[in-house]
Amino acid sequence: MPGQSAHFPPDLPLTSQPLPYLTFLGRAGFSGFPSPAQDYEPCTLDLNTRLVKNPTATFYVTATGDSMEGWGIFEGDLLIVDRSIEPRLGHILIAMLEGEALIKRYALYRGTPHLCSGHPDYPPLPLEGSDCQLWGVVRAVVHEYVR
Amino acid sequence: MIGLIDANNFYVSCERIFQPALEGRPVGVMSNNDGCVIARSAELKALDIPMGTPAFKLEGLRQRGEIHLLSSNYELYGDMSGRLTQLLRDACPEVAPYSIDEMFVYLEGFTSRQCEALGRHLRQRIRRHLGLPVCIGLAPTHTLAKLANHLAKQDPLYQGVCLLNGQDHTTQALLKRTPVGSVWGVGHRLAERLAIGGVNTAWDLRESNEKQLRKRFSVVLARTALELRGVPCLAMNALDKPRERIMTSRSFGQPTGVFAEVHNALRRHAQRSAEKLREQRSLARAVMVFLNTNRHRHDQLQYNPNALIPLPSPSDDTRVILDAVRQGLEQIHRPRYQFMKAGVMLLDLVDAEQYQMSLLHQPARDRHPLLMATIDQINQRLGQGTISFGMTNAPAAWQLRCAHRSDRYTTRWDELMKVGTHPGAIHGCTSRP
Repeated sequence: MPGQSAHFPPDLPLTSQPLPYLTFLGRAGFSGFPSPAQDYEPCTLDLNTRLVKNPTATFYVTATGDSMEGWGIFEGDLLIVDRSIEPRLGHILIAMLEGEALIKRYALYRGTPHLCSGHPDYPPLPLEGSDCQLWGVVRAVVHEYVR
Repeated sequence: MIGLIDANNFYVSCERIFQPALEGRPVGVMSNNDGCVIARSAELKALDIPMGTPAFKLEGLRQRGEIHLLSSNYELYGDMSGRLTQLLRDACPEVAPYSIDEMFVYLEGFTSRQCEALGRHLRQRIRRHLGLPVCIGLAPTHTLAKLANHLAKQDPLYQGVCLLNGQDHTTQALLKRTPVGSVWGVGHRLAERLAIGGVNTAWDLRESNEKQLRKRFSVVLARTALELRGVPCLAMNALDKPRERIMTSRSFGQPTGVFAEVHNALRRHAQRSAEKLREQRSLARAVMVFLNTNRHRHDQLQYNPNALIPLPSPSDDTRVILDAVRQGLEQIHRPRYQFMKAGVMLLDLVDAEQYQMSLLHQPARDRHPLLMATIDQINQRLGQGTISFGMTNAPAAWQLRCAHRSDRYTTRWDELMKVGTHPGAIHGCTSRP
């Protein structure tokens, strides 16, 4: 797993106290001074604007299985699938292989396009001669550490 | 040019997007409470299973795995319909939804060739981006666009897109072999009366004397004949299809985001729709509420939501419809938008008498036909809206029987489509090859 191998310096103080919550922007108590932020409409970052470029063609699906762990897709992860993206080599796709939807990486293997896994136990599946249709391209994966 | 985009077997196609295994299989979608078949795939049609077949008659076939029967999943259909409308809005200058699965687009200033190219592009895009198969009819008028769409569906040579310019041989040949009863707005009874006068095909109607039609039949029929000649003269609203869906919508005098104002407008539309429903003795199975912001105001936030609420059983009761409308509005209303238009659509209609016949053996339901008839009479005599409904009771928690409903893949976080990373992963097969 990426990041797991990097170890923390031992003297790094781990926070035992809960971090203070960010306060809402607004009038600063009754100290007499109005908060300079009171006229400022907070413009919160919206993950949709980053991860959902084409809302009509974007669908969410849940991943099942372990064969894509090498590419950071774990059991139960949320995938953001954008059906408007043109598939290219290297993309992670939802492909329909013989009537079953699968999450795979579209890549060359020994010079020909294959659906590849991110796990040594699962060999690449050749596209040539198979009944394979594109369902959509995976734009992002959301792995929630705390649920 | 006017384009009509019509999804093929819409409900079944929505299901197949998320259940690819249903592709190529006979699939039916059942009415609320799993009563009867209301949508069929081409494969189910080929098995000669008619619309409205009671589900219990098909139980054997279903258990043997020969056919697939699904409970209706209106949340999914409503969301996919909204996506289809939005996709068209992004690509075309003007779009008007005509029913849950049919949309008109208006392409002014394009040549025929450009229109056909755009049609093909749209069809491909809808297939790719949404996974929905559609057919597109293009023509100078609504009535011809509908016929063009029909041809695009029937004849595989067109590959899903058919353009009729109204004057060419294709139009003539098509009109000559189309029975007049299949023309939009010409019902069975009217077709019989026309046949007496020797008008049997759409072509006969087109060639009829307009003044005679107006005198002997109606202005609408005279205009339909003109439309067949390629002269646009019927607005979309004139082309109501009362047997399939009833729509009432109107723009606000002043755009508004206030819940109560939007709700009031929708309540009026709901009451009017329910009256139309009773006039033609139909019952609705589902209610769709939709809102539009002003798409010409680029300075304002755009939001064109819809909500589809299934009714516990087919109904023409204004109170039931009002409750559904409020539920729908509560789901989609957001105060920060200025809405320009609101509408109510009653869907999946069923003939009231037929439906009641099928219920003879069941206990009387909680309906009040006399109350509704009385209100309609008073409103007819003393003017629209003389009697209207105040707040109705909050709806009881509806327990729809939906034993075979697929997941609501696009509207519920806990019901997303599950996709395996390797063959068999979904079915708990974790053993590695």
